[in-house]
Amino acid sequence: MRTTAFTDIFTLFQRSLSSVSGESHLAAHLSDAAEIVASHPALIEKEIVVPPNFGQHQQWGAILPLLSSKGITIREAGSPASVADAPAGLSGAELAIAETGSVLLAENSLEARVVSMLTLAHFVLVSESKLVPKLDDAAAVLQVLTNAGSDQRHYISFVTGPSRTADIERTLTIGVQGPKVLCVLLVSDEEEVKP
Amino acid sequence: MTSNYEIKSPQQALSDETANRTHEHETFDERLEEALTDDNMHRALERFAPSWRASRLTVFASEESDYGSDYSFASMRSALHEAKDYAIEHQDELIAQFKSQAEAAGAIIYEARTAEAANRYIYELCRRKGIDLVVKSKTMVSEETELNAYLEARGITPVETDLGEWVAQLSHERPSHMVMPIIHKTRQQVGGILTETLGREISRENVAEQVAVIRVEHRKSFLNAGLGVSGANALVAESGTVMMLTNEGNGRLVTSLPHVHIVMAGYDKLIGTFAEAMTQLRLLARSATAQHITSYTTFITGPATPDKEMHIVLVDNGRSEMRADPHFKEALRCIRCAACANICPSYQQVGGHAFGYIYSGAIGLVVTPFHHGLDADAGPQSLCVSCNACETVCPVEIPLPNLILDVRSRVVEAKGLPWLKKVIFAVMARPRLFDSAVRFFSIAQMPVTRGGKFIRPRNLSMFDKLPGVRPIANLARWRSLPAFASKPLRDRVKTSGSAANQLDPGKAGITVCCFAGCMIDRLFPEMGEAAIRVLEACGVRVTFPQKENCCGLIALNSGDRAHCLGMARQTIVMLERSLAESKADYIVGATTSCVVTLTQDYIRLFDDLQQQGWKRRAQALAEKVMDFASFVDHVLLANGKKLPISKTEGEQIVVTYHDSCQSINCLGLHSEARHIIQDVLGLELREMPQSDVCCGFGGATSIEHGDVSERIMNNKLNTAESTGATVLVTDNPGCLMHLRGGVDASGRRMRVLHLAQLIAEQLE
Repeated sequence: MRTTAFTDIFTLFQRSLSSVSGESHLAAHLSDAAEIVASHPALIEKEIVVPPNFGQHQQWGAILPLLSSKGITIREAGSPASVADAPAGLSGAELAIAETGSVLLAENSLEARVVSMLTLAHFVLVSESKLVPKLDDAAAVLQVLTNAGSDQRHYISFVTGPSRTADIERTLTIGVQGPKVLCVLLVSDEEEVKP
Repeated sequence: MTSNYEIKSPQQALSDETANRTHEHETFDERLEEALTDDNMHRALERFAPSWRASRLTVFASEESDYGSDYSFASMRSALHEAKDYAIEHQDELIAQFKSQAEAAGAIIYEARTAEAANRYIYELCRRKGIDLVVKSKTMVSEETELNAYLEARGITPVETDLGEWVAQLSHERPSHMVMPIIHKTRQQVGGILTETLGREISRENVAEQVAVIRVEHRKSFLNAGLGVSGANALVAESGTVMMLTNEGNGRLVTSLPHVHIVMAGYDKLIGTFAEAMTQLRLLARSATAQHITSYTTFITGPATPDKEMHIVLVDNGRSEMRADPHFKEALRCIRCAACANICPSYQQVGGHAFGYIYSGAIGLVVTPFHHGLDADAGPQSLCVSCNACETVCPVEIPLPNLILDVRSRVVEAKGLPWLKKVIFAVMARPRLFDSAVRFFSIAQMPVTRGGKFIRPRNLSMFDKLPGVRPIANLARWRSLPAFASKPLRDRVKTSGSAANQLDPGKAGITVCCFAGCMIDRLFPEMGEAAIRVLEACGVRVTFPQKENCCGLIALNSGDRAHCLGMARQTIVMLERSLAESKADYIVGATTSCVVTLTQDYIRLFDDLQQQGWKRRAQALAEKVMDFASFVDHVLLANGKKLPISKTEGEQIVVTYHDSCQSINCLGLHSEARHIIQDVLGLELREMPQSDVCCGFGGATSIEHGDVSERIMNNKLNTAESTGATVLVTDNPGCLMHLRGGVDASGRRMRVLHLAQLIAEQLE
C-alpha cells in the first residue's frame, strides 16, 4: 500500500515533470513498467537500447526478459555513434526529486550515459523509495556519490524533462541535442506476489 | 580526425571569416547606433521583458507556497548571498579544498592569471594532441577571454554547440544576452543564416525545422571533435565537483564525447557545499528564464570516464583586483542569471551589444573595467538610468546601482566631466551663486517661455543662431523642458505667511522642516506649496529653511563625487541648524530622489571616504528624514489625523499612479500613495501595467541618450493612457518633469500631478 505522504510527493513530482513536458507513471511491479514501456508510441520500432550489462542489474535486470516477451528487441549500447538517434533507450536512476521533477543519473561509463543523451525517447526506472521531496535531499545524496574512493561517481546529472530550447524567438522547441521524450517510471519496491 | 562526415566545410569556411570581426571591436557609438535602428531586436526585447517579469514572480511564488517562507525569494537570496560571501572571504582555503578533491578524482588544474594565459594553455593542449576541432558548450568566460578568435587565428576550429551561441558565431556576433544569446534575431534571420551556412534552403518560418537541422549538424561535430570546452555554473569545494546547467543537452555531449574536456571557470564560481549549490540552482533558473530548473544539471568530479582527460582552467583576469576592492568584491557573488539585464529599462531599448561589453546588463557595467578596462565601459555605463530595479531582482543582492555609480565616478576621474556639467555643478555647489543664476535665467528665459511653463522647440526657432540653442531645441523636441518659476518656493513661503513664519507649535503637535529639493523650489514651486498646504491642513507646523541648496544628487549621478561631497556637507550643516532652530520633529522631503540621497547615499559616500564623523552626522540626520507620502500615511493618517476633504459633486476624476524608481526600489514605497488616493480621497485608481518601470528620466541619461530616454518615456505614457485615467500621479519631481514635458510635446491631454497636488486639490 502506498502511504498518503508518498502520494502527495508523487503528485508534486508529476506536476513538476509534466510542466516541462515529461511523462511519469507509477508501476506497482516491474511487469507493469515493462507494459508501459512496450506499449509506448516511441517503441513503434520494437527496439530499445540499454546500458551494457543492464541484464545483470540487481534491481532492473529482470525487466529485459519481460520486454523481450512482449516482442521488444533489446540492444546494449555501444559507441556514441551507434546509439545516436536510436528511437528508444532505457536506464535506471538513483533518485527522483519531487520539487523539480528531476531524476538523478549517475553513470561512470560513457556507453551507459549515451542512452540518456542520444536516444530519441528515454525511459527511466526509479524505485519509489528513492523519491525525495526536495533538492536539499538530493544534496545529501550528491555528497555520498561523489565521495572519493572506488565507488565515486564522476558524472552525475539531474535530468528534468526532455531536451529543450527557446533560443529562437523564445519559441519552445522540445528535443535539441538530447531526447525528445522523457518518461519516468516509479516502480514499487514491494515484492511481486506470483499468482 | 578524418571521418565520413564532411563536417568542416561550412563551419571552417565561416570561421576563417569570423576572426576579429566581432561586435565589441566596433566603438560604443557604432554599437549604440546599430542597436537603436534594429527594430527586430527592439520588438523582441519589448515582448520579452513584461512576460519575464510576470513569469519570474509566479515561479518564485509557487516555490514559496509549496515549501514555506524559507523558500521565498528573499530568504533564498539572503542565504546564497551569505554562501557566496563565505566563498569569497575564504577563497584560498576553498580553492585548496577544491583542487585537492578534483585532483584526487583525476582532474588537472591550471590557474590562469590572465585571459592570454588561459587561451594559451588551451591552445597548447590542442597543439600537443593534434586537435583541430573543438566543440564548446556555453561558457561566458571563454567569451571574456575571446578564446574563439585566439584558436581560429591559430588554425583551430571552435564550434559553439549551444543553439543560440552557434547562430551568433555564424553571424560573427557576440551573444547579446547572457542566457538568450540571440534574443535579437528573428526566425527569418536564423533561417537565412542557416541557408547561407549550409548551402541549402532551410525554412525561414519553421523553428522546429531549424532546430532539427542544427541537431543534425552538431551531432557530426560532437562525434568528431577532439576537445570539448565547457563553462561551469559552480565549483563545489567540498567534493571538487564542477556543476553545469544546460537545457539543450549539448553540455553533456561536450563534456562526455570528446576525449579531452576543459572546464573554463572564474574563481568567482566557487561555492562551499552541495547544499549551497542547491540554493544557487533554485535561484538561477528561476531568475534567468523563470524555469524551476534547467533540463540538465550536471555534476562532474574528475574525468567523466577513466580514459578521458579533464582540465580545469581557473581564470583570474581581474577577479583578484575585484576581490581586493571592498565594494567591487560584492560583484563576485554574481551567478550570471541576467535578471539585471531582463529588468533594465535601458537594456530593453538597446540590447546587450550596446548595454555592456562582453558581459551585458547591469553586472556587465560593473565587471567590464576589471576584465576589459575602464575605456570599454565608458560608453555603456552612461546608459544606466539609476532606476535601481536591478538590485531588487538580483539573486545574490549585489548593490549594482551603487557599483555602477562607482564605475561612473571612475570614468569621470579618468576622463573628466563634459565642460557644461563641470560649470553647472560648480555653480550648484555655491548656494548664493546658484540662487542668483537661477533668478537671472528665470528672467532671461522670458522671450522663449513667454510667461508659460514650458520651453518648446518652436519658441526657440527665432534664436536658432545663438550658441547652445540648437541642442536645447533638440532636447525639447520630444519632451518640452520646464521653465524656471518666476518666483521660487523659498520666496513664496516667505510672503504667503505660510511655513517658516508660524511660530506656534501646530495643532498636531508636530513640526516638520520641509526639504523641497531644487526641482520643486526652482521649477515646480506649486508642488511644494501643495505639500505644505496638505501638511498644514492636518495641523502640522511647517518650516522652510531659506538656506536650502541642492543635495548633490545630480552631481553624484553624473559621477562627480567631489562636488556631491561639498553639497552633502552643506546640506547636513544646513539641516542640523534648521532642526535646532525650529525644533522640528521630522524633515519631510517632497522629492523621493533627494530623500534617498539624504538617507542612503550620504552614508555610503562618507563611509567610502572614511569620514566617520560626517557619516555619523548623516546617519543621525537620516533618522529624521521621511518622504511626503510615508509621512502623510504612516505618521499623520495612521495616528488618527484627518485630511479635511471636500466632498463636492463634481466630475469624478480617474487617477493612474506611476511608482517612481527611487520611491519603490529604494524606499520600498507602494501602498502609501494608493491608500491615500483610494481610501482617503475616495478617487478611482486604475493601475497601469508595469507601474514600477522607470519613466526614462534617469537624470543626465535623458540628456546624453535622448533617444533611449524618449522610448522609455513613450512606453510609460502609452501604458498610463491605456488605463483611460485623466490624471497621472507620482511623487518624484524628476519623473514629473519628464512626463509633463512628454505629455506637452506629444499633445496628450493627461494632467500630470505630484501626489501632494492631487491631495491639495481635494482639500476643503
